[in-house]
Amino acid sequence: MKKLHIVGIIVIAVAIGVIFVSLKNTSTYADFTEAIANPDKEYHVVGKLDKAQPQMYDPKVNADEFEFTLVDNKGVAKQVILHKSKPQDFEKSEQIVLIGKMRDNQFHANDILMKCPSKYNDGKPQVN
Amino acid sequence: MNEIKYIGERLWAGQLGNAFVVLSFVTALLSFISFYLAFKNKNFISLARIAFNVHAFSVLGIIGTLFIMLFNHFFEYQYAWQHSNTAMDMKYILSCFWEGQEGSFLLWTFWNIVLGLILKRQLKNGDWEAPVMTVFALVQVFLASMLLGVYLFDYKIGSNPFLLLREHAEFSNLPFIKMPNYLAKLDGRGLNPLLMNYWMTIHPPTLFLGFASTLVPFAFSIAALWNKQHTKWQAMALPWTFFGILVLGVGVLMGGAWAYEALSFGGFWAWDPVENSSLVPWLVIVAAGHTMIINKNKGGSLFTTHFLAIGSFLLVLYSTFLTRSGVLGNASVHAFTDLGMTGQLVLYVLTFIFITVALLIEDKLFKVSYIVVSLFIYFIGIIYGYKRMLLMGWIGTSSVIIGISYYKYFPKEKSEEEVYSREFWMFLGALALLTMSATITYFTSMPVINKLFGTDYAPPKVPLYNQTILPFAVLLGFLIAGAQFLKYKKTEGKKFLKRISYSFALALVFGLACGIPLYFVNAKTIGYDEVSYTVLLIFSLFAVFANVDYWFAVLKGKISKSGAAIAHIGFALLLIGVLISTSKRVTISKTETSKKPSSLGEGFDDKVSMLLTQGDTLPMGPYLVTYKGQYRKGINVYFTVDYFKMNGNKPEYDFTLEPHIQDNKKTNQKSPEPATKHYLNRDIYTHVTAADLNLDTSAKKKNAYGEAKNYVGHVGDTIFANNAIVIIDSLRTNIGKEQYQKNDSLLEVTAVLRALDSRSNEYKALPKYIIKKNIVIPQDDEIKALGLNFVFWKINPDVGTIEITMSQKLSNAKDFIVMEAYIFPYINVLWLGCIIMALGTGIAIRERIRKFKSPTN
Repeated sequence: MKKLHIVGIIVIAVAIGVIFVSLKNTSTYADFTEAIANPDKEYHVVGKLDKAQPQMYDPKVNADEFEFTLVDNKGVAKQVILHKSKPQDFEKSEQIVLIGKMRDNQFHANDILMKCPSKYNDGKPQVN
Repeated sequence: MNEIKYIGERLWAGQLGNAFVVLSFVTALLSFISFYLAFKNKNFISLARIAFNVHAFSVLGIIGTLFIMLFNHFFEYQYAWQHSNTAMDMKYILSCFWEGQEGSFLLWTFWNIVLGLILKRQLKNGDWEAPVMTVFALVQVFLASMLLGVYLFDYKIGSNPFLLLREHAEFSNLPFIKMPNYLAKLDGRGLNPLLMNYWMTIHPPTLFLGFASTLVPFAFSIAALWNKQHTKWQAMALPWTFFGILVLGVGVLMGGAWAYEALSFGGFWAWDPVENSSLVPWLVIVAAGHTMIINKNKGGSLFTTHFLAIGSFLLVLYSTFLTRSGVLGNASVHAFTDLGMTGQLVLYVLTFIFITVALLIEDKLFKVSYIVVSLFIYFIGIIYGYKRMLLMGWIGTSSVIIGISYYKYFPKEKSEEEVYSREFWMFLGALALLTMSATITYFTSMPVINKLFGTDYAPPKVPLYNQTILPFAVLLGFLIAGAQFLKYKKTEGKKFLKRISYSFALALVFGLACGIPLYFVNAKTIGYDEVSYTVLLIFSLFAVFANVDYWFAVLKGKISKSGAAIAHIGFALLLIGVLISTSKRVTISKTETSKKPSSLGEGFDDKVSMLLTQGDTLPMGPYLVTYKGQYRKGINVYFTVDYFKMNGNKPEYDFTLEPHIQDNKKTNQKSPEPATKHYLNRDIYTHVTAADLNLDTSAKKKNAYGEAKNYVGHVGDTIFANNAIVIIDSLRTNIGKEQYQKNDSLLEVTAVLRALDSRSNEYKALPKYIIKKNIVIPQDDEIKALGLNFVFWKINPDVGTIEITMSQKLSNAKDFIVMEAYIFPYINVLWLGCIIMALGTGIAIRERIRKFKSPTN
């Protein structure tokens, strides 16, 4: 079974390699402060929509640009430019995860994940 | 407090259901204990069988009661209220049934019972009945407990589908509880509209049957560790394993098809944790099936087979934990909500690992100490905390013990494997599948790893998955191509290499002929992606050609013998389909802009969506598209988009796509669903990402005009309407002297307005400014075709300007959509590959069953 042992060692080496490479490449969850410190690194920023600040989405100008303000979990608010169209039900999101990086004091996001309360467990019984 | 007497509640249903729930749990437990005892003492076997039958009956009872509740709208029950309503189409009642966690556990339980009953019959009176059924019954104990919904020392066990709405913790303090007749006015919340889809009636049962079928090889494997008969179980488990491969594979792919047809994340696979956690058990059970074949034909690979057979079931449990415990949190968009069963689910996964490890140890003292230490750790964890540390310590210890028992207790092969032998190649394939599964599991488990180690890694993105998996796919293509030409034990290397070199040469020529134009000719840079895509293309083609060769040249095209060859052709085609449709996906809605977010780095795309205003015709990829408008049908708002193709200079109508958005007022959700035009060699896939759904398109409003807007300007100025550009062309006065006198001090000025729509059609409007006896009487004019109305009401002679108000028909109001459109080339190769793979696996199963039954083998 010598050959199989060699194969086994190769497999383990590959697995360790995959783990190291992926940990280097994966972005981490962070807040705006950390994203500002490393402007070239991609981060996942978790936060809430700042409803007091204006939102800008004008598909006539650019259908793939949506601006709003996010308050991260530490309470830091930053303007966000999402390079995608404005998602449906955006205002209803309870929590937002943005994937992107910081540039010129704006957070440029290439993707967004929203947790909506409505997804599976919304609505109370209504009797009228 | 006075008891409120509620009117109209049908409490019998809940009582009946709960009776079945309790009965199913008790009988599962009884059947587990008596099957366990029957292993040593045959007298218990009939009690065990009866208990299992009663358990099966009571599970059917639960299912039947739940259906009665859903079918007759018993909204006093939380499950019926949450998952159905009166307006719902009854054809979706099945989807309602398994929308919730409780229902999907029931579905799983149901399939376990079906398989359990068949297996029980098959093994009746044999040596394997008691041990295999013990495992089955134990799993049923766990599943049945998921529905109990009782509290044990403040700890909730399971979630009960027969809970009354007014007893539900979230709703029990709402005012309606105080109304005795609340039920008369209550409607259900209804089914999640995303699940109102025919895929949702066939995908979950298939997937859960697949999950259930991983239990069979697991049960045989555990039974074999228990009764130490290491040789016979694999032959018995083999047809079941391939049945699992077939059904789970189809289930996973149906999930992909559903995502592609009905969800709008722009493809068939997004490496979402929910998808991954059904793919991984499939990969592992495929590996298990192959090592079983090795074992059956040549012996050996015993430990690996145990490892894989147990692994695929444990991974099903682990995936249940991942998707239902809420641990995924931010990582997945479609995980179930947490029903507070996290602890329970973790406990189940750990229990089965514990049982496996305990059975692996043959030394009695060692075994007892492992059991004692494990229980000790468990109770320390419960009482003092430090759960994370203890869990990691325990998992570490258990892994070491698995390693030790492999060396100490497992029979080993003496001879070394030949490189040119079928078993060696198959084993490598199994190992590749296992490593692939480990990688995907590791990526998917990032949220769990974060919890365990306190790190904050985000889940990897799609490209990382693709790049990591690709080399494995190449290796699999290579192994699949060669393995069948090899014989067990030893094959002459030279002859073999010569034989497969023809297929390889052909694949090389074809692969380069397709790969170079696909990936190199227009590539800006040549990197890992371009090279690896071409290599994968070559090796997948190699696998196809080699298996076709084997099928016709060696097996002489005999269908019954060629299950494996056909399944492998299907798998290789699937790889090709995935590769081309994913790597050559073209975003045709992409338009040129000055802003280039792509300069921000990887992951940032330049414009991917485009704005279509009603009536406009815009070029999009090879098409011209016109957005014609929206209409509402039920809860869906459809957007009609016509596609034209240029025929010479003339656009020619080609087809219409109507992507839609579900606008569910009840749950207050809007979810876009794609529309796809299928061609043999490509799909045009579109979905709407933004639109104004609140446009009132009722006939009355449609013809009404909106608020008038005033424009100040002079001749030559333009006014922008929603659907046209209006130019103030000239002013005409017809105050001839005679006229003025004739008409009794009448002054009349006509503004000549030229309107140009998006297709440069010209329209004219002539609103008049009239002064009669010093009173201004403007005479408006309308362009009917454009729905524009103009009033010329003021002239400012001193500054030389005129003032015109324009009102636009409400139906002109900027109805627009933002749409994304992709071309998926050769995606049909993917689906064709799926079907061929399923057919091949089916043929192989039939052949295995035939061989298993025939006494000569």
